[in-house]
Amino acid sequence: MKNLEFFRRVSIGQYLDADSPVHRLTPATKYLWLFALILPASMARSSLAIILVAAACLAAAKLARVHLRYLLRGFGPVLPLVLLTAVLQFVFGWRDDGSLVLADLGPISVTMREVLSVLGMAARFLAIMMALGLFTATTTEGDSARGIEDLMQPLARLGIPAHGLALAVAVAFRFIPIVAGELEAVVKAQAARGADFGAGRGGIVRKVRAYLPLVVPVTVRALERAEALAEAMDARCYRSKGRTRFVVTVGGRGEALLRLSAIVFGAGVMVLSGMLSW
Amino acid sequence: MEGSSVRKLVTAGALGAVSVVMAVTPLGFLPWFGGASLTIMHIPVIIAAVLEGPLAGTIVGLIFGVSSLMKAGIAPTSAFDPLFTNPLVSVLPRLFIGVAAWAVFRLFRGKFTPLASGVAGAVGGFTNTVLVLGMLGIAEGPRLASVTGLESGGIVPFLAGIAVSNGLIEAAAAAVLTAAVVTAWKGIAGGGKARLADEDK
Repeated sequence: MKNLEFFRRVSIGQYLDADSPVHRLTPATKYLWLFALILPASMARSSLAIILVAAACLAAAKLARVHLRYLLRGFGPVLPLVLLTAVLQFVFGWRDDGSLVLADLGPISVTMREVLSVLGMAARFLAIMMALGLFTATTTEGDSARGIEDLMQPLARLGIPAHGLALAVAVAFRFIPIVAGELEAVVKAQAARGADFGAGRGGIVRKVRAYLPLVVPVTVRALERAEALAEAMDARCYRSKGRTRFVVTVGGRGEALLRLSAIVFGAGVMVLSGMLSW
Repeated sequence: MEGSSVRKLVTAGALGAVSVVMAVTPLGFLPWFGGASLTIMHIPVIIAAVLEGPLAGTIVGLIFGVSSLMKAGIAPTSAFDPLFTNPLVSVLPRLFIGVAAWAVFRLFRGKFTPLASGVAGAVGGFTNTVLVLGMLGIAEGPRLASVTGLESGGIVPFLAGIAVSNGLIEAAAAAVLTAAVVTAWKGIAGGGKARLADEDK
């Protein structure tokens, strides 16, 4: 056990408090833009379309006044993959590649199409990383839960439990630091008793059994806390129907326009990607 | 295990938190030979499905899927992580773990709880492996080929190999851990009273 302080290494995004146009948007709008950026970035086949999405992310980061270095700090581990792809692209090339040859080094030639496909791949990672990082940096935990409910409002009419999902997500946010703290306490307690969770020898059953004294108490404690919370909520007559909100996140006409433009942007990029061959 | 809907949702949230914590700390990965690691992050999903039914299982599955998407996008640790930034690979398959585990658990009709939860754990774990690898093959085939350096024809045997080797071991791990947690919880939650009630913090 080299590092007992797990929580220090937790690297899923953090909210960065600031006052920017992006911070002020309602959560539902941010969700829609998140989907409008991530879905085309992960599914579009065309490099140019993906580069367009990455450019949109860049613009949003600028508007939100979030440092690029902060958003892209996770890019390091992906870099070798991008380089490997670049090498493979340049060495093997495309069949019937009629595009402009940028450099000719004997058997290896670098064409416009190859460069674009490498750039597209890098842009895909960059766009997803920026969009996710930006969303978590500009949206508080409470807003993320409220946004889920707002966004699923139309589905709630069909009987999908939008409010329930938002409640579960809010509880999860609230429980993450508690569970992490308890995990740390349990790991330390078991380590003090001589437990070894490292890469010791033994078959899979032995390995799993070594994890039992860790997983069981942490999970059971979380269940106990959930039980106590549910009882407390029941005792206060918590009902999911007919609730009002302390924080109102409806938004005006500008928000509606922005939401509409998110859908148009996402669909537009997908259509563009279908039309472009690169 | 009857319960109000508030209880189902709160339990789902708590187990969702456990799966997020597993995803961002080393707890979610068992070190295994060859540098490969087994994941046990889907176990909270199975536990939620067994204890509180398919809705709770699906919600925890959603939280698990989104957290693995976020982790792959924000802090990738391996060459395979970028493939998990596709929601079709990281989120969609995870929604079915809970339903599968719950359906299997129901087959036992409330008898033999340890065995039933063990089998539910194994089925849930295997569902996760098969569906995720299947979606990897369908949605990310070309990129997977460039990561592994395989010909596109070699992808299916490659994925099937992982499904058999990792999948069976992960299913076994899920069976042991699910059975242990569910029996421990059912053992102490006999009265259905909150244990924290008599604590002074």
